[in-house]
Amino acid sequence: MSDFKTGALMYALAGGVILFVIVQSLFFIVKSWKRAKEIGVEPEKLKQTVVTSVLFTIAPAVSILATVLALASALGIVLPWIRLSVIGNLAYETVAANNALDALGGTLSEEVTDTQQFSTVMWTMTIGSCFPLILLPIFCKKIHKVMGNAVKKNEKTSALGEILGAAGMIGIVAAFVAKSLAAAPDAPDISAGLMSVSVLVSAMVFTIALDWLARKKGIKKLEPFVLPLAMFGAMGIAVLLTQFLPPDIAGFTFR
Amino acid sequence: MKTFTDKMHTYGRIWTVTALAVLYAVPLVFSIYYNVFPQFSTLLKALAAVIPIYWATAIVEVITYTPLLGAGGAYLSFVTGNIANLKLPCAMNAMNSADVKATSEEGELISTIAIGTSAITTTVIIAVGVLAFAPVLPYITAEGSVIKPAFEYVVPALFGALLASYFAKHWRLTIAPIFAGVIAYIFAPKLPVGTMIFVTIVASLVAAGILFKVKYSKQFASEKE
Repeated sequence: MSDFKTGALMYALAGGVILFVIVQSLFFIVKSWKRAKEIGVEPEKLKQTVVTSVLFTIAPAVSILATVLALASALGIVLPWIRLSVIGNLAYETVAANNALDALGGTLSEEVTDTQQFSTVMWTMTIGSCFPLILLPIFCKKIHKVMGNAVKKNEKTSALGEILGAAGMIGIVAAFVAKSLAAAPDAPDISAGLMSVSVLVSAMVFTIALDWLARKKGIKKLEPFVLPLAMFGAMGIAVLLTQFLPPDIAGFTFR
Repeated sequence: MKTFTDKMHTYGRIWTVTALAVLYAVPLVFSIYYNVFPQFSTLLKALAAVIPIYWATAIVEVITYTPLLGAGGAYLSFVTGNIANLKLPCAMNAMNSADVKATSEEGELISTIAIGTSAITTTVIIAVGVLAFAPVLPYITAEGSVIKPAFEYVVPALFGALLASYFAKHWRLTIAPIFAGVIAYIFAPKLPVGTMIFVTIVASLVAAGILFKVKYSKQFASEKE
């Protein structure tokens, strides 16, 4: 009975979830693609969007994969795989699983071998994380309507809307930048320190340099690769620094 | 006549309800197959610790991300998750490189295509990774592996790169939210990043509003002269 976590049923469930995610995504891509053609967006631009997005996604996706593996020792590989393909992220799923096991008197550091425990973990994860999907069908349209009306009123508010749109995006970026500059979260999350700041700055420098090459030197083909390359470059810097700096310097954190 | 956006909302609602059914099918099928349903009291105890935080975060996330994601993008993102650290940055990057505005219909379409592509790519990478590399991957990400640091620092790498591309266009707008975020972290170093996003977005919007007002009134004054 101990292989129920990686049994045929779990793989079948994973297959179903993955199929759903892919079909849903394709549906929206096809609808948007057709509409874009109708309103006269060049197909080249759309193709470039696909290429850019695939490249952009690789590094974060590999790090999500790593979190699947982190949870695999206790929960088997399939459940974390399912959970991180829909809604889930490491923090959510770890906390949910921990709480479920805690309520049963177990911990996440040992393998779950009981179907009852496992089922409790699954239900906790699912019920805990589904709320956005209940809110969205009710409020998404309303939120967009309110926003659209505010933007459309006149030229001044539409210019303001544009700036506030950019400011919203920057707000999200800023949270993670600040995290890399000053946060000291619970392990295993990394605290801000020499390494995180170096990686942050390297990514900025690489982006600016590559962008300059692509735009000013007219290497058009480079454009979709600018961000992915800068990311990989900065991640490479992290590897180099850990290899060549003394551990106490590389491991220096601000607090 | 229904506009394209109206249609997207209708499709989105149908897909989201279907997604909920698919999500709940996973524990339900497992429980029926093995005939093990969780004890109600245990489940309640586990959920009591999880729901207040998660459901509050959900409300904040829906309010914060929905205006930034287009209609199609919003429905897609909330099903597949990893919004702040992947879907939204991916959409921003695509709109930047296609040189379209987030508020235009073109921007909305580009963002939806980017998010859909990102969702498929992530799903495929995780599936391939689990099936093909599961035996090897623990070594790659294990303690002491040479390339482990690379994946520990995905966040600063990703957001450093994004910051640089925003810095080029709107450097004035970047100062206040980063400053606010750093200050907040100095007082609350363990604050979850989901909560921090709320802080920095508010700081960013307020500062942008003030900057806009100053700039616009200056423009207005120079037009009058």
